Amino acid sequence: MLFNSLPFLIFLPTVVLLYYLLPHRTRWILLLAASYIFYGYWKVEYLSLILASTTVDYFVARYIHSTPSRFHKRFGLALSLITNLGLLVFFKYSGWFIEDVLDPVIGLNEVQLNDFRTAWDFLLPVGISFYTFQTLGYTIDVYYGKAVPEKNPLKFALFVSYFPQLVAGPIERFSHLHQQLFQRVSFQYSNLQHGARLILYGLFIKMCVADNVSPVVDQIFGHSTEADSLQLVIGMLLFGLQIYSDFHGYSLIAIGTAKLMGVNLMGNFNAPYTALSIREFWSRWHISLSTWFRDYLFIPLGGSKAGQVKLGINILIVFLVSGLWHGANWTFVVWGAMHGVAYLIERWVLPERSSRIGSALKWIWTMVIVFVAWIFFRSESIEFGAAYVGLMISNMGEGITLEWDPFLPSIVGIFILSDLLFRNRSIHVWLESKSTLIRWSVYALLLFFITGFAGTIQHPFIYFQF
Amino acid sequence: MKVLIKGIWLLLTLLLLAGIYPQYAYEKFVAEHADQYLQVQKIKDCDVIYLSASSNFASGLARESDPRKISQMVADHFPSMQFEAINKPASHAGIHAALLEMFKENAEAKTFIVTMNLRSFGPDWIYSELETPLQQSTLFYNNRLPLVNRALVSLRTYDDRSVEERHAQRKSAWTNDPLPFDPPRNNVTDWCAEEKWGDWRNPKRQLADQFIKQYGFVLDASNPRVKDFDRMSALAKEEGWTMVFNILAENVETADSLVGKDLSSLMQRNTHWLIDRYDEKGHVVINNLERVGHEHFTDKDFPTEHYDDVGRRIIADNVAAGLARALAQKNSKHDN
Repeated sequence: MLFNSLPFLIFLPTVVLLYYLLPHRTRWILLLAASYIFYGYWKVEYLSLILASTTVDYFVARYIHSTPSRFHKRFGLALSLITNLGLLVFFKYSGWFIEDVLDPVIGLNEVQLNDFRTAWDFLLPVGISFYTFQTLGYTIDVYYGKAVPEKNPLKFALFVSYFPQLVAGPIERFSHLHQQLFQRVSFQYSNLQHGARLILYGLFIKMCVADNVSPVVDQIFGHSTEADSLQLVIGMLLFGLQIYSDFHGYSLIAIGTAKLMGVNLMGNFNAPYTALSIREFWSRWHISLSTWFRDYLFIPLGGSKAGQVKLGINILIVFLVSGLWHGANWTFVVWGAMHGVAYLIERWVLPERSSRIGSALKWIWTMVIVFVAWIFFRSESIEFGAAYVGLMISNMGEGITLEWDPFLPSIVGIFILSDLLFRNRSIHVWLESKSTLIRWSVYALLLFFITGFAGTIQHPFIYFQF
Repeated sequence: MKVLIKGIWLLLTLLLLAGIYPQYAYEKFVAEHADQYLQVQKIKDCDVIYLSASSNFASGLARESDPRKISQMVADHFPSMQFEAINKPASHAGIHAALLEMFKENAEAKTFIVTMNLRSFGPDWIYSELETPLQQSTLFYNNRLPLVNRALVSLRTYDDRSVEERHAQRKSAWTNDPLPFDPPRNNVTDWCAEEKWGDWRNPKRQLADQFIKQYGFVLDASNPRVKDFDRMSALAKEEGWTMVFNILAENVETADSLVGKDLSSLMQRNTHWLIDRYDEKGHVVINNLERVGHEHFTDKDFPTEHYDDVGRRIIADNVAAGLARALAQKNSKHDN
């Protein structure tokens, strides 16, 4: 079920209403049923995967917790890793394996490859990378004794499948989310107000910004050899804006949805394009994933306590794995490598403190890395990405005729200004300081934009594919 | 009380914005996404409306001496009557049925000619990737408040399937919908895989497979397009309209030569099924299936209903004869 669809607009108020009508002890059952309906609405078959992942991690975590043997604990952890990563690898990387490894060896024809691509795109379960990482985090926490496993399998199933953040995060930690799901929540107008504000703003930036920018990006990337340098630069900048508004919008709706029922999910974005370094960028971009990698990969690898060489290797590993997490394509590896190398250059070469001009130069450096890396993230192949970068510098041709909604620059302008305004605070906090008249006028304007200016071509949330 | 005031303020602001909206944004949006709505709006004082897809248009070939559309050629047979045409490439009965709803009450016209394109009943068209924007356009064919229509589009309250989903549906239909022949011709997938004209790189083989994919289906009442025509038929009865269904010509000659009698007989069988069904419902159904020869089809590398001027004239003459018959029937009913 898509957040920006009529079924969800019926589903959500129904769930919230029932949630507050039901006695506290039974509410989690409602949430579990709602979560499975939400996920099964895409394809009922997807439920089998989440059930498999849930079942394995439920039993493995309990086994790890109960066994005194270190060997058995390790065995349990390995089982969880193999199952979860196995599912992930099978569904996300088999396509890559067939196209990049098998095809060059046995030689499939174009028709067979196309059929395969179509089938694979259709089969890839939405959000598999998110919930497998969430359950993996749980098992690892139990292994290190940081969490006590849930006894009730159905309650654990709710932790894995909690619908607001199931398909695209924020990736939650057991210690943060689990307790909140079963706490006693009394009806509070402030929760509804807070949640509704985030949902409204999230819908605006997803439907009006991301979905309207997307066709322009498609035109430029689709005709990159004919577009001139300026258009290619615009394409790069707009893609950066598209992916940010798309994912940030989704995250806000997810956080707002949970807030309606008194649950606080972790923030996922905080004005990332104002970052003055790659390191800061990653503390503002997809925060739930970057902290996941920090806690479950970087620190177990030795973290920053190791020597400089080991540290460099660890950082590169984290960024490369992060790239691969996004998808089965070498372009994501390049994207991760660019961030990793830039991160190390900052750490080893660039000065930490700087003047105002120095800060401006750092910001430019950071944005150049981030946006050029987005080109590879958006490209189908490394060759395409490299050619795009080359043309961006050298193509002074006539360019292509771009079609865009005349309202797009205004909508993008509003978004950029609002993003700066909400830096280090949310729209909710900002609105709190305003008069009732301004607050309700903002609601009306957001509603007006959402209904009257949303994009019209189907663009599911970009991160669903990851 | 406070909540009530806030609610009223929200409503008033929204109403104000909804009032401004059509003047600044709506028309351009509709022109881009549902231009048939504007075509309908422009119709005034008209007797007959011709609803079709790209088949109505002139091919633009240099050898053509007559650039008229089929609808214009038909209109020229009835100089005393006012004709209008509503066309959009890839449009089909589902869209036409939605458009006809707009003519309910105070209809400018009382007679409609609607093209019946045999290909449009097949899985390739039903599950086409163009279907999503077409379904989206149907939300505009009504007289609701513009902002409400636009909101329904924003919330995707239409059949909003992705290209991948539509391809999967199509593939499933080609594999699972049975055909009345012995294997391997008992479904489209296997029939296409059957040996003919060399391997898949041969253009003849590709075209033969396309013909099988376009016309390899058996019509029955559950077909979505049939349901659309049933809807139109019911609407016509309800409103007292005269409805003429125009079965377009297909390149049966090429189907025959590339694939064989099985396919052409299937095309004929489906055509007769349609004629029987809508004839029984009291409509005039014009059969053009085999009226146009191969040389008058302008597309040679894909089955279409695009004709040169001679082909269009053949169809127009036949439609005109059918329309005259329908009008005569109507008059005789009135006289009785």
